[in-house]
Amino acid sequence: MRTLWWTLAIVGMSLISIVLSEHRTFDPLQNISLTIAAPVENGIRDLANPASDFFQGIFNRGDIVRENERLRREMERLQTQLAAGEDASRRVRELEDALGFQNSHPDDQLVAADVIAQDPSGLKRALAINRGSKDGLDEGMVVLSRDGSLVGTVSLVYDDFAWLRLISDPNSAVNIAVLPEGGKNPAARGIATGDLRSGVTLEMLPTQTEINPGDLVTTSGLGGNYPRALLLGTIKTVEDEPQAPSKRAVLQPAADVSALETVIVVTSFKPARLAAP
Amino acid sequence: MKYLVALAAAFLAAVLTASLSPYVKVLGVAPDFVLIFAACWAMVRGQSEAMFVVPMAGLLRDLTTSDPLGLSVLALSPIVVLALLRELRPVESDFLPALVVVAAASLAYSILSMTVLTAVGDDVPWGTALLRLTVPSIVVNPLFAVIVYPPVRWLSPQPRPASFGVGSAVQL
Repeated sequence: MRTLWWTLAIVGMSLISIVLSEHRTFDPLQNISLTIAAPVENGIRDLANPASDFFQGIFNRGDIVRENERLRREMERLQTQLAAGEDASRRVRELEDALGFQNSHPDDQLVAADVIAQDPSGLKRALAINRGSKDGLDEGMVVLSRDGSLVGTVSLVYDDFAWLRLISDPNSAVNIAVLPEGGKNPAARGIATGDLRSGVTLEMLPTQTEINPGDLVTTSGLGGNYPRALLLGTIKTVEDEPQAPSKRAVLQPAADVSALETVIVVTSFKPARLAAP
Repeated sequence: MKYLVALAAAFLAAVLTASLSPYVKVLGVAPDFVLIFAACWAMVRGQSEAMFVVPMAGLLRDLTTSDPLGLSVLALSPIVVLALLRELRPVESDFLPALVVVAAASLAYSILSMTVLTAVGDDVPWGTALLRLTVPSIVVNPLFAVIVYPPVRWLSPQPRPASFGVGSAVQL
C-alpha cells in the first residue's frame, strides 16, 4: 500500500514538475546546478581526454588521433573557404543586377564558449556551454565550430549557461544547398535533418539535379533562421531511387560534432523566429 | 548521514554521466551511472531508502541535462517497485538481482523518457531509439553495474541475513 501511495505521489509531482519546467519555472535552479557541476565536469573531461586516447588504442594511438583531429580541422577550414568562394561566385552570377542586396555576412559578433557537458540520454544530441543570456545569447542563435562550420543552434538559455541542439539532433532541420563541384550545375536545395542512425540526413533534394559524394553542403538561407553559405559538410552517400519523388543523401559533417570542445555563437545574426514581432 | 552520502554519490554519478558520455561508449551508448547507482542502492539498502534516494538521484540527473525537470524522477521510479519485488523474494546475494534490476530499469527508463519527450513535443524516432539506444542500454548498464555495485555494497557493511524463500526464519 505504501508503495502505491509513493508511486502516485511521485508520478503526480513529476508530471507537475515537467509542466512547470516546460514553462521555464526552474531555469534559475538549473542555472545554479550547472554552476556547481560545471567545474567538476570540466575536471572530469580533462581527465577523460587522455584516458580516452589511451583506451582507444595502444602506444601512440593518442598522437594519431590528435593528428587526425588537426588534419580534420584543417580540411574543415579549407572547405569553409571553398564553400564561401563557390557560393560567392554563384551569387555574383545570380544577383549581378541586384545592386542593393545585403551582404549575408555582416561584421559578425561572436561569443566563444567551452562545452561543459553532453546530454547523456542518447535521445538528443545536445551540448551544454558555459555562456548564457548574460553574454547575449538567445534561443535560436546559430552556433559554429571554431573553424566556422555550422554545428547547431542555441535551444535553452539560462543566465550563465546554455544548451545547444546539434544539427544531428532529431529535432533539428536546416534548409541547405548542395553545391556541385565545379559550379556548372545549379545548387540543389533540400533540408538537413538530424538522425540518430546516420547523423545528418539530407532530404527533399530534387531528382533532376546531379549530386555526388564530396559535394559541399551549405545553408541556403531560406526561412531566415540561418545565415546563408555556412558550411555543414560534404555529401557522404546518395540514395537515388528511381520511383522516389526526391533524393536522399547522408551528410559527412565538417566538424566532429561529438567531440566539440569549443564553439562560437553568432550573436549578431537574428534568426527569423527571434526577429519576428 | 546515509542520505548525505547517497546524495553525494548520486551527484557524482550525474556529473560522471554528463561529462563522460562522449568518451565512454559501448555498443553506441554511454552508461547511465545515475540509473545504475540508484538501482544498486535500492537493491542493497532496501526499498525504504530507495523511496528517498531514487527520486533525489533523478532530480540531480535532470539538473545536469537538458531534459525537463521531473523526467528522470518519473523514469527512475520503477526501480523502487522492482526493489519491492526483490524484498518479497530474498535470495542469498544482491549482486545478480541488482544486474537484473539495472537491465529492467534501463528498459523502463528508456520507454518512460521517450514517452515524456514525445508528450512535450519533441520528435522522438521511436523505432531507431528502441533499436539503437534501448536495447544496447539493457546490456551496457548491467556491464557497468559490475563497477558501481561493489562501492555501494561496501557502503553497506551489514548484509541482510541470508534466507531461503519467503518467510524463512533460518539464519545461516
